[in-house]
Amino acid sequence: MKISRKWLQQLVDLTDISDEDIASRLTMLGIEVESFENPSGTYKGFVVGSVLEVEKHPNADKLSLCKVDIGGEVKSIVCGAPNVAAGQKVPVGLVGATVPHNQHDPDGKPFQLTKATIRGVESEGMICSANELGLGEDKSGIMVFGEDAVVGTPLAEFLGIDDTVFEISLTPNRGDCLSHAGIARELSSAFTRKLIPRRARLREEGGPVNESAKVEVVAEDLCPRYSARVIRGMRVGPSPKWLKDFVERIGMRSINNVVDATNYVMMELGQPLHAFDLKLIAGHKIVVRRPRKEEISFTTLDGKERNVSPEMLMICDKEKIVAIAGVMGGMNSEINHDTTDILIESANFTPSSIRKTSKELGLSTEASYRFERGVDPNLTIHALDRVSEIIVEASGGRLAPGIIDVAVGKFLQRRVELHVDQVNRLLGTRLASGEIKRILESIEIPCDKKSETVLICAVPTFRGDIERGVDLIEEVGRVHGYEKIADSFQTRLSFDPRFRALTQTDELRELLAGAGFNEIVTNSLQPSDLAGFHDSSFVTLSNPISEDMAAMRTSLLIGALQTVKLNMSYGLKNMKFFEIGRAYKVADEKQTVGNFIESERISITLSGTADPVSYDRKEVKFDIFDLKSEIERLLRYLNLDSWDFISYDTTKEYEQSLKLFVNGMELGLAGRVSNLALRKVSVEQEVYYAELDLSRLLAARKDARKFRALPRFPFASFDLSFIVHVETPAAKIMESLKSAAGNMFRDISVFDIYSGEGIPEGKKSIAFTVALGSEERTLNEGDIAGFIANAERKLGSEFSAELRKQKS
Amino acid sequence: MEMLEEILKLREEATASLNLLKTQEDAENFRLQYLSRKGSVAQLFERLKEVPKEEKPAIGKSLNELRNFLEAEFESAGQRIAAAKTADIGKIDLSIPGRKRYIGRKHPLTQTAEEIKRIFTGIGFGIADGPEIEDDYHNFEALNFPPDHPARDMQDTFFVKSDGGKYMLRTHTSGVQIRVMENNKPPVRVIMPGRVYRNEAISARSYCLFHQVEGLYVDKNVSLAELKGTISYFVKEFFNANAKLRFRPSFFPFTEPSAEVDVNCFLCAGKGCRICKYSGWLEIMGCGMVDPNVFKQVKYDENEVSGFAFGMGIDRLAILRYGIDDIRLFFENDLRFLNQF
Repeated sequence: MKISRKWLQQLVDLTDISDEDIASRLTMLGIEVESFENPSGTYKGFVVGSVLEVEKHPNADKLSLCKVDIGGEVKSIVCGAPNVAAGQKVPVGLVGATVPHNQHDPDGKPFQLTKATIRGVESEGMICSANELGLGEDKSGIMVFGEDAVVGTPLAEFLGIDDTVFEISLTPNRGDCLSHAGIARELSSAFTRKLIPRRARLREEGGPVNESAKVEVVAEDLCPRYSARVIRGMRVGPSPKWLKDFVERIGMRSINNVVDATNYVMMELGQPLHAFDLKLIAGHKIVVRRPRKEEISFTTLDGKERNVSPEMLMICDKEKIVAIAGVMGGMNSEINHDTTDILIESANFTPSSIRKTSKELGLSTEASYRFERGVDPNLTIHALDRVSEIIVEASGGRLAPGIIDVAVGKFLQRRVELHVDQVNRLLGTRLASGEIKRILESIEIPCDKKSETVLICAVPTFRGDIERGVDLIEEVGRVHGYEKIADSFQTRLSFDPRFRALTQTDELRELLAGAGFNEIVTNSLQPSDLAGFHDSSFVTLSNPISEDMAAMRTSLLIGALQTVKLNMSYGLKNMKFFEIGRAYKVADEKQTVGNFIESERISITLSGTADPVSYDRKEVKFDIFDLKSEIERLLRYLNLDSWDFISYDTTKEYEQSLKLFVNGMELGLAGRVSNLALRKVSVEQEVYYAELDLSRLLAARKDARKFRALPRFPFASFDLSFIVHVETPAAKIMESLKSAAGNMFRDISVFDIYSGEGIPEGKKSIAFTVALGSEERTLNEGDIAGFIANAERKLGSEFSAELRKQKS
Repeated sequence: MEMLEEILKLREEATASLNLLKTQEDAENFRLQYLSRKGSVAQLFERLKEVPKEEKPAIGKSLNELRNFLEAEFESAGQRIAAAKTADIGKIDLSIPGRKRYIGRKHPLTQTAEEIKRIFTGIGFGIADGPEIEDDYHNFEALNFPPDHPARDMQDTFFVKSDGGKYMLRTHTSGVQIRVMENNKPPVRVIMPGRVYRNEAISARSYCLFHQVEGLYVDKNVSLAELKGTISYFVKEFFNANAKLRFRPSFFPFTEPSAEVDVNCFLCAGKGCRICKYSGWLEIMGCGMVDPNVFKQVKYDENEVSGFAFGMGIDRLAILRYGIDDIRLFFENDLRFLNQF
């Protein structure tokens, strides 16, 4: 919202208060000033001049020598414009002024005027075009003002822009500040300056208003008050200069003397107004009601046909709708050039009703914006008087005596009790009751002392946002100044053990980053086909920004693949990523919120070279065993000692896949990402990917094990090799060997797999390093031989395995 | 005892020549002279036969020691020669960089969130979280946003398609406040980090989602002064001890009184620049005293307890902390970006 300083000055005394002080005090009162600007600075050194003489430049055909009166002084100026002539009133830039726009420069950079000699003749300034001043497009010649321009007037003053405009951003609770009067009230409190009372001076003529128009409010629940006045015999035309200037200064378009006046009073007082052409109001009667069944559409002022629904409030005449209450008027009763009699509406509508209507129509106007935020119901009459005063003066109309005023009752001040100790308890202050009273009265909330510690406050009707003691406490804090409340910091240092769930994931992040993974954070919104790729029961948005973000992810896979793709497009091919985030699903049964499930996931992505290439090593690409080892690192870190990777079928997402189980609970899948999935996001490189259920993973975590004495006797480590069928899984043989070793088992790993020469067709040789140990003694040859014999027997029967060789 | 003297002499002589060995050839000559089957040491062993019986053990022991000593010294001399040889002809270029390894990093948003969590857990705040898909009650109504109130326009909302009820992607983490208070008796002191969504056009300055940390402290006699003290402590810890801040009155439906917290712009030292929109201040969070209507919803007695709440954007703080100029970078995961933090 734009607020003009000159306008404010008509409402409150601001003498000797700087723009900066106004901006910072308002901001610290909760009325945020985003910026302020005084365009007159731009025109410093520019005045209205009068061209006295024009003669040809002795050395240049296209230039003229001019004598220009700038108010008590005559300057010699060289001018190149074809239209310059004696007798003109023109804008003159004097030496030292900065011309806003250089029309000979391709970028139009501003330049400063200096005393210059042009083709041998001295020039003491410049007569400017509209383009050079940034006031219009015309650069064909100099700007020429009307006869009435006063020579010597500073240009900004002449243009009516010698004013500071504040850009204010208001919070939705402060509907009372959506006007100059509202801001003036805050300033009067901030600087203890008096408000300037403004009474409308009215002259009423002709027959009383009741003879010209009637008002009936049917929907009283949506319209607490409807006031109106009538002006007769007026002429619609352009606005007087002062009105046009003010309206344009705060960013509105000047339309005509009626519309501008209603806008002006709305911006002055905060009361939205609407003027109807009385001749177009059937039966000269306004009826405020909900639409009839057959009334399903209505054409608003902007020429758009709008759908009307039964709960919207309409302003009607005897026959038809003439306006959508509080939102916009209609084409059928609009002010036009033939209008002579008008009815001005100054009404109060229920905020929630206007908001619903505005939302439903997708139409927000200055009027609806104010009604949604609450307008003072006691403002209608004063606003009518002000607007009538202006219209009568600007249009030559006659104001009909009297006011039509239909109201549900009286609108009284709200009385709210305020306890002094509560103020101080909540703010952490020690304000005395007299101090609190002074503060509240400075913002027009009179207080009576009920007792030493209780005040009865009379909240004016323009502060609809203040209903309770706590609302008054905020006012006290705000006006007293948050900066004057001393900091207190007594938060006790005990940790609340009820809330510590999230720290475990921080540890996993630390581990994975240390293991060379970059953490990624990806969008949880994606197109439906990608969300549905993993799981068809995905969550969809009813109002997405675009189809690209219409659904919620069901897996972290797509985000990971998109990340691979993005980095490949920058020539980066080697990646280790992890992400911790949520996946979202629709469930069949009820959940904490609706039937939506949000599960915490952890993903691991490997793509490219496992070990970045070095001068003496060949490039080795990531493979499934790298992926397994990364998962196993996680599992080991969480102190798990057993898990199962079960080979799983090829799925849509995976070419080779493994399903991970811990304690019989499924944690997720790992494998090489399928070509189908890679194609979905156009990734042209192998990707290994695992996604686990993070909550299950953390639940499976074992708390730190109890200390076990370190082994006192060395382990015996030796190699064993078996010939088995090519399809016998290594993991099964390892399980068998482990069980054959019983409590002597310490460790096992695979160190060689071989088939070919020396090994029978359809068989493979698989070699293990086994470590055995004992808590009681060093193992001897006999223990090891015993184990080998046992293992040979066991593997022989389980897998028809044949012991190949043995080394110690 | 002249044998023992000879042994000592041989040891000195051999040690001296060992130090002079330069090439494999030198080494071979040394071996032939001292350690071969017919070398000086072997010859001394030959003469052991002639030694009187009673001296034999002592001399034998000395000889063994000599042989072991020379063999060991000879071996290390050999290694020295071999190493010198390769170094001489430059086979190992020690200027070659070490093998590259993957260096992992936590996402800058994670690092920022962890710093925020560290500061608040350090002063006794716990951590809680809640769902991202929320119902109208927790996201708005219980937080004193009446239906059809313009305050709802402060947050552009994504709605979720659903057969029953009105659901949305949470627009703030404030709903977790309600869930925490519904399930826990006062006092509570907790921060609630998480992902939130806003239906806004994507640009360098805004994204469809971001991350917030909500804070809540409810106890007997918690005041605005205490809120100011707590936030001041946080800001000085997070930015720096000299950071200036101000509390500016504002409005949130779920707090009364409410404030915005601004920190003086550290990029221009408060003089005014593009980042602070020439105001000299950067807005970093909203806060206030919990509104009694919120206490009513969660059945806390407003006469018994009071509390404060605050909420800040992790992404915004990270942007300020690192001087990042485009919020979208957080979600693109360009390695050239991620590796800077």
